[in-house]
Amino acid sequence: MHFSEDDLREALKRKDPCEGFTQRTLMRINQARVNQAQSEGKPALAKPEKKSNRSFITWWMHRPAWAMAVVAVLLLAFGIGGYQYSEYRHAEEMRVARAKQQQFQQEAERARDQAIMALEIARAKMNHVLRHAQLQAEPNDKTRRERL
Amino acid sequence: MKQTTAFEDDRLKLALNRALTGDAQAFADLVREHQGMVFSIAYHFLQDRSLAEDLAQEVFLELFQSIDRIQSAAHLTYWLRRVTANRCIDQGRKKHRRREMALEEAPEPTTVSTHADPMLLERLQQSLATLPERQRLVLIMRFQEGLGPAEIAELLEMPVNTVKSTLHRSLADLRKGLTRKIREVRYAFF
Repeated sequence: MHFSEDDLREALKRKDPCEGFTQRTLMRINQARVNQAQSEGKPALAKPEKKSNRSFITWWMHRPAWAMAVVAVLLLAFGIGGYQYSEYRHAEEMRVARAKQQQFQQEAERARDQAIMALEIARAKMNHVLRHAQLQAEPNDKTRRERL
Repeated sequence: MKQTTAFEDDRLKLALNRALTGDAQAFADLVREHQGMVFSIAYHFLQDRSLAEDLAQEVFLELFQSIDRIQSAAHLTYWLRRVTANRCIDQGRKKHRRREMALEEAPEPTTVSTHADPMLLERLQQSLATLPERQRLVLIMRFQEGLGPAEIAELLEMPVNTVKSTLHRSLADLRKGLTRKIREVRYAFF
């Protein structure tokens, strides 16, 4: 089925509301005015709304201050955290250095003991060799035997 | 014709100025002047006479509360169309109306013109009720109010090209809906 734009205009042409629409509208407006006046006259209902609005407006007005406070708190938290971290790192480094030094000292002592032992062994060997050499040089067998 | 329009404009301007000072009679004149437009937009959108009347009353109540913001008679017409369109969309959402209504569920039209095909107009009104809200509103603004795409775009806050494509799609959907309905009728008969 085909239709023209005129048909559509005809289908959508303006219609009037029921008789007495204007009067009913004006009555409704008057009723709304009365209701509004009554609600404005009740302080118990009006106060909380005003208070909530005011608190919201106050918060809105102080937004920069709130932002600054938040930034300051964040900066302080980061500062304290950073300081504590650097202190911890320093203590850790000191502990590692001390442990290294102790280990080095122990190794040095062990090396010294080994060196002393080596010298002792060398001294004993030298004495033994020296004694044998002196006995070889002795002409008398009897004396040599005695010595031995 | 031009003289009549100029006279009407002057009369409306005068009524508006008097209504701004709190003259109830002048405000009643404004309501009387625009009630057909506001009611028809709501009626064609909602397809319900009592809902449409209720919505129109709410629009005029809002006008009464914001009358000091109206600058001219043309501005008043624009304001009324815009508020009515917004309220129609709100009403559609509030009542959880389905975006698309089955053709069978569409209400029967209340009035049928005498100089056009009554059956066609009836089917057109039924098919219109099945269109999505935006499409319906664009068609109402175009064919009831006689607005151009640019005016509709400004009124409904849509890009002009979207309005044009919506108009095109709406007409195609209407034709499709009518054709389907006719086929169903033929099938039932033969």
